Amino acid sequence: MSSPDVTADDFDPAPEGPAQVPASARELKGLIKGWRRGRATKKLSEAFSDAYVALIGVAMIGAMVVNVIVKAQRVVAQCETASCLSARTLLPWAAFAGTVAVALAVSRLFGPVLASAAEGFWLLDAPVSRAKLLGARLWAAVLIALGGGALIGALVSALTGSPATEVAIWAAAGGLSAAAAVAFSATQQGIERHLLTRVATYLFTVVGLAALFAVVGVAAGWLDLGVSADLGVQLGVVVIGFAAAVLVISFVVARLRLRQIRRTRLLSGGALVSGISGAFFALDVGLARDIVVERRALELGHVHPVRGRGLGLSALTWREWQRLRRFPQPLIVLGAATVVPYACDALGLSTVTPVLAALTVFGATIPLLGGLRVLTRTGGLARCLPFTMSQIKLASVAVPAAVVAVWVLATVSAYIGFGDGATRRSYAEAFLVSLASGGAGLLASIRWTQAKGVDFGKPMVSTQAGAFPPGLVFNVFRGFDVCVLVTAPLLLGFSPLWSLALGFIVALLLFNSLDAESLKARQEEQQRLLDRQKADAAAARQRKR
Amino acid sequence: MAKRTTVLKVTDLRRAFGPVTIIDKFSLEVRTGEAVALTGRNGAGKSTLLRCLVGADRPDDGTVTVCGNPMSETSPDIRRDVATVIDDLDFFPDLSVVEHLDLLARAHGIEDPDGLVDEVLHEVQLVPQSGQLPGTLSSGQRRRLALATAFVRPRKLLILDEPEQRLDTEGVAWLAERLKSERMKGLAIVFASHEPSLVATVATRTVELGAPRG
Repeated sequence: MSSPDVTADDFDPAPEGPAQVPASARELKGLIKGWRRGRATKKLSEAFSDAYVALIGVAMIGAMVVNVIVKAQRVVAQCETASCLSARTLLPWAAFAGTVAVALAVSRLFGPVLASAAEGFWLLDAPVSRAKLLGARLWAAVLIALGGGALIGALVSALTGSPATEVAIWAAAGGLSAAAAVAFSATQQGIERHLLTRVATYLFTVVGLAALFAVVGVAAGWLDLGVSADLGVQLGVVVIGFAAAVLVISFVVARLRLRQIRRTRLLSGGALVSGISGAFFALDVGLARDIVVERRALELGHVHPVRGRGLGLSALTWREWQRLRRFPQPLIVLGAATVVPYACDALGLSTVTPVLAALTVFGATIPLLGGLRVLTRTGGLARCLPFTMSQIKLASVAVPAAVVAVWVLATVSAYIGFGDGATRRSYAEAFLVSLASGGAGLLASIRWTQAKGVDFGKPMVSTQAGAFPPGLVFNVFRGFDVCVLVTAPLLLGFSPLWSLALGFIVALLLFNSLDAESLKARQEEQQRLLDRQKADAAAARQRKR
Repeated sequence: MAKRTTVLKVTDLRRAFGPVTIIDKFSLEVRTGEAVALTGRNGAGKSTLLRCLVGADRPDDGTVTVCGNPMSETSPDIRRDVATVIDDLDFFPDLSVVEHLDLLARAHGIEDPDGLVDEVLHEVQLVPQSGQLPGTLSSGQRRRLALATAFVRPRKLLILDEPEQRLDTEGVAWLAERLKSERMKGLAIVFASHEPSLVATVATRTVELGAPRG
């Protein structure tokens, strides 16, 4: 072994200067704020005037929401039936529990306290208190949850026709509970433990689902809870008190633990936000979901390998089944989606039940199509498999389709009509309507899953809002269009067979779209070969002459 | 000695991006047991050429045939015969390393894939990572997994784009010996590389692309 030329004694230390006093957190923040202001090219008012399209859009959507609320208030004012009264009392509870569950899940995913890569490099390494740097982040996360929770609580309560006092109570309960959930999650982030947050997420999900099932149960006459609207309000006030207490305690504890959060934990949340915001900037929701899925897999890290089954295409299908058994959470979502047609029927919304059910299945089946997503987003993995794209898609979709078939069977009863004033159908017709709804949802999720991102390399299209790459806006509507198209005959009162026929055509297009492209490419390649052979033959004849 | 048959035939291939022509009138014939190394400076068109050869990119002119059939990325016959390791390989985020290899072997009809998968895992030194999900692998380990996907399935033509990338010295030496052994068994190989030792060990022919750096 050769010894290195440099030894430990071979150094010349620089003389120590006077002790440096590090900047405070406030000074650092002020410095950055000053730089940012100095580099701003627009005033806030100018930015708002540039964003007039978005502002008009927000105003329009706001007006529509208010209109819907006013209409709902008028309809529900005549609410006297058991199903309607039960919905009025229990739906805000379901919304409340759902909001808290979402707040917990999202804050666990992102942090909730996070920092960007630049902040991590330039600020978090500075010799200043991390708690002081991150305090504003905690405030921001809690306030966003407070606003979001209050909005959802108020909206659902208003849509169920509740009076102003009740709306205010549910807004306060929703907002404070969501804020408390985020603060609680931050306390767990401080000690890098997430078990309690995860348990709380599942608990509130179960409560939300139970409330939804109760709505259906009461409407169908299976349950008689005897819950008066007054009791709901009283419980709402109790929830406000409890949530406020949890919020204050959790916030104080989280604030104290801020200084001990590791930089990697803060940065991973920041990286996730920047990745997702980049995807949303391109309106590529699929990419945003990919980032979240990748992040979850990264957290898990390791699995117990399971031996595959079958050969050829069946190996792909078996693997899908094994993946579903490994991560069965999407089944809970689809199970919960079973309630939707029943709840719509209970609320007297029979006419729009198919489209709402299809939209729910659309959202619920996307997580089941992870395999299809990976095989279609880039050509790399599919190129390794000796099958056509149609075969690969069919094999990947077989298991989700079987699960949706179970959903169809479970929701047939909802279409027979059991709520007050619901549309009555025969068993056969109810089955066909349920099949059309489930099929529309599944096809929509297949369209959404295999959608390609926007190609920013193509020429831009000029619009009132500036230059857009072609297909940017339509990307957002992918999937929703299939839901509406396939269920349109049902909305218009035609036979469900029309919907099934439309669904069949959509399926043909979806499963053969890539193959049509490849067929065209192959034809072009063969044409080129033919042209070359002709040219060679002509050249040979020329030489003979 | 076995008769050599043509596996890959490229005739007058041309690929341009706007006004910039990357490859022009490129022809190549690769027969069984031959290994062609594509060399050249960065931007010479090696990766573009390989993308055209595997069907990931469409040439503007010229033809590519594999075992007499026009190249089409989605043709099951082509997918059965051509194993590729280029940069667009994707992984299932929720399937472990060994499960990816098992799936590929089964999809290609290998009846009892356990022995083959174990052997390849051993070779690429990913046995300790066999239960890991791809997102947790280092870039070098991901590269080894990508290489492993080419060895757990039947193949007549192997196309690799800078396979030595992110491999350590020991890994490059293993790859060189493995590719040489594959070639000796009759596999046709086309690969782009900047690693002289890999080219020297594996290639029966070297094609330099692009003008040398002036």
